[in-house]
Parts: sequence; structure tokens; C-alpha cells
Amino acid sequence: MSEVKLVVQRFDPFEDAKPRMKEYAIPRREGMTVLDALLYARDYLDHSIGVRFSCRQASCGSCGMKINGRPRLACYTQVAELGGDKVVAQPMDNFAIIKDLVTDMESFFEKHREMMPYLIRADAQEMERPSAEYVMEPKELEKVLQFTYCIKCGLCTSSCPTVATDSKFPGPQALAQAYRYTVDPRDEGGGKRLELLDDAHGVWRCHFAGSCSFVCPKGVDPALGIQLLKRHVLSGRPPRREGEGAKVWTAPVSASAQK
Amino acid sequence: MKESRLMLVQYATAVAAVALVSIHLVMQGVIYPYATAISYNNILSIYKNGFYAIFLEALLVVVLVHGFNGVRIILNEFRQTKPWAIWVDAGTVLAIIVTVAYGTRTVILAVFGGAPA
Repeated sequence: MSEVKLVVQRFDPFEDAKPRMKEYAIPRREGMTVLDALLYARDYLDHSIGVRFSCRQASCGSCGMKINGRPRLACYTQVAELGGDKVVAQPMDNFAIIKDLVTDMESFFEKHREMMPYLIRADAQEMERPSAEYVMEPKELEKVLQFTYCIKCGLCTSSCPTVATDSKFPGPQALAQAYRYTVDPRDEGGGKRLELLDDAHGVWRCHFAGSCSFVCPKGVDPALGIQLLKRHVLSGRPPRREGEGAKVWTAPVSASAQK
Repeated sequence: MKESRLMLVQYATAVAAVALVSIHLVMQGVIYPYATAISYNNILSIYKNGFYAIFLEALLVVVLVHGFNGVRIILNEFRQTKPWAIWVDAGTVLAIIVTVAYGTRTVILAVFGGAPA
């Protein structure tokens, strides 16, 4: 049986002065993903390897890491597709390391929260107790659909050259979500987001390197969203003004749903 | 000033600079004989043309505003503290004022006299 040489960057900030690389020989099998190889190494060769994972099907975004120099999901990357017998696994760039391949996502999620990634309506009462469903035209859905596929894995942020130098820059994931909610016809809070982004460390610090879109495992194009967002920031207003959100209703929500 | 307005200035000056520099290069390389284009007397005679003096002043302002605003953007990405941002912004405004004033002085002296013939 042939083997794969798995090289893992090891680093424990409480014990190590600097990261080191450690090699593991993993028996190759058909369909083996990098996550499979890492879990084999952790289960049978070295229990101390730190790796974060959950769904194993590219849905949760937990196993983002740098594989052979490129940010990828370990569960979504087959060893065979990398070519050769050597797989190098390192933690994502632009994130603090908790241990080995596990990175600290706190500031990433904080920046995501700052973008108010939810629908904001002027009619607060309606939000709390909706009387009917909000309708979204297929054409309007098309504008935001790809951005809803984001799994918040952080690969785009780890590949962003601006995030590497500007710690206040929200990053491609947060900006793409800001665009996603700002152009949503049901949203009325776009103005608040645009004001937040019109800052020296806001949306204008994106220099359109495009690496975020290149590495996204879900086919999202954050770079596109950011450029479209710039247009709205420049005009100073979202696609709709406050109070001009979707007013079309379908069948009323049932009484049980309102409870 | 809002960052969006500053970026609008940056984009506008970029477009204007491309147009003005292109015209400038064509004037210097094609219309005037290349060998004498940068001779002292030739340059002085160019400044005496009122239209071209205004053109050169516009070129000066556009290129300096674009250049220093670009440096401001780069410096703001280096550090993210409030005092740093204040110093960078103040330095940018000061640099633009000083260099535009110095360049304008040259244009005025050439147009209205003062520069040796």
C-alpha cells in the first residue's frame, strides 16, 4: 500500500517559541481527503495534533486551513487532487493560532456581527410578529443568492492581502455579507451599513486582488460583492431608501406561526 | 471628509492625470521638437502661453493631489491607531498645500516675470 507524506505545522503558543513541521506517513486509500489523513495521524500516530472539524461535507466551515500553500477546506480537498505524495497542512494566515491547525476566529465573527447580517425593518412590530410572508422576486434573489452560500470558513479572509496589513479592515467575508443584506429587497437598514463602511479602514481598503473569490470553496465571489458595495457607499444610499422595502405579501402567516 | 469623497477625488484625479499627462507628453514629444523640448528657453516660452500655463497648473494640482492622497491610503494601512491617522491626514494636507504652492510659484514667476530670460 502506498503512503502519503503528511507534513503538519505544529505550534502551541504556551509551549513553543516558534512553529515547527512534523511528518507523518499515512496509508493512502481511494477517496481520502486531507481531513481523513489528518484524523488518521491524530487517531493512530500522534494524539496531540490540534485540528478543528465538524460536518466533513463542506457545510460547516470548521476545517479551513492552508493546504500545500493555498487556503482550502481539509474535508473538501482530496489527497489525489493535490498531485504527488506530499501534503503540507498549515493554519490559515491572518488568524492567531490557538494550537497547530486550529485558529482563533473570534475577531472574524466579531467583524461579521458588526455588518448587522440580518434584515433590518422600520416596522419593528411587524418583525416581531409578522402578519404575512415577505415576497422576494426571483430576479432579486439572483443578486444575493451566491452570497447566502457563505459558510464562514474564513478562507477568503486568510487569503486577503489587506487583512494581512490592516487589522481594522472588515475583510471579504464581512463585506460580502454587508452587500448581501444591503441589496436584499426586504431590508431597510442598508443606510446604517453603508455609513459604517465609509471609513478609512472600511470598504475602500479593498484593492481588488480577487484572491478571496479564488479560494472560496462555495463559489462565492466576495470581490464582486465588495465592488458593487462600493457603488452604493459612493452614492451614499442603498438600493432603496428607508421605508421603501418590500411591501408585497403572500398568504398570511398562520396563527400558530405567530405565537 | 468622508472616505468615499476622498476616494472619488482619487479616482477623478487618476482619470484627469491620465488625460493631462498624455496631452503633456504629446506636446513635448511630438508637437515640439524632442531635442529642444526641455531646453530652458523653450520651457519659458511654453509658460508664456496662457492656456498652456493653466494646463500645467492643472497638471500640477491633479498629480500632487492624487499622489499624496495615494500615500495617505498606503500609510493608513500600515498602522490603525487614531493618532497615526490624524498625523497622516494632517501631513497629507500640508504636503499638498506646500508642493502646490511651490509649483504655482514657479508657474507665476514664469508667466509674469521674475524668472531670468
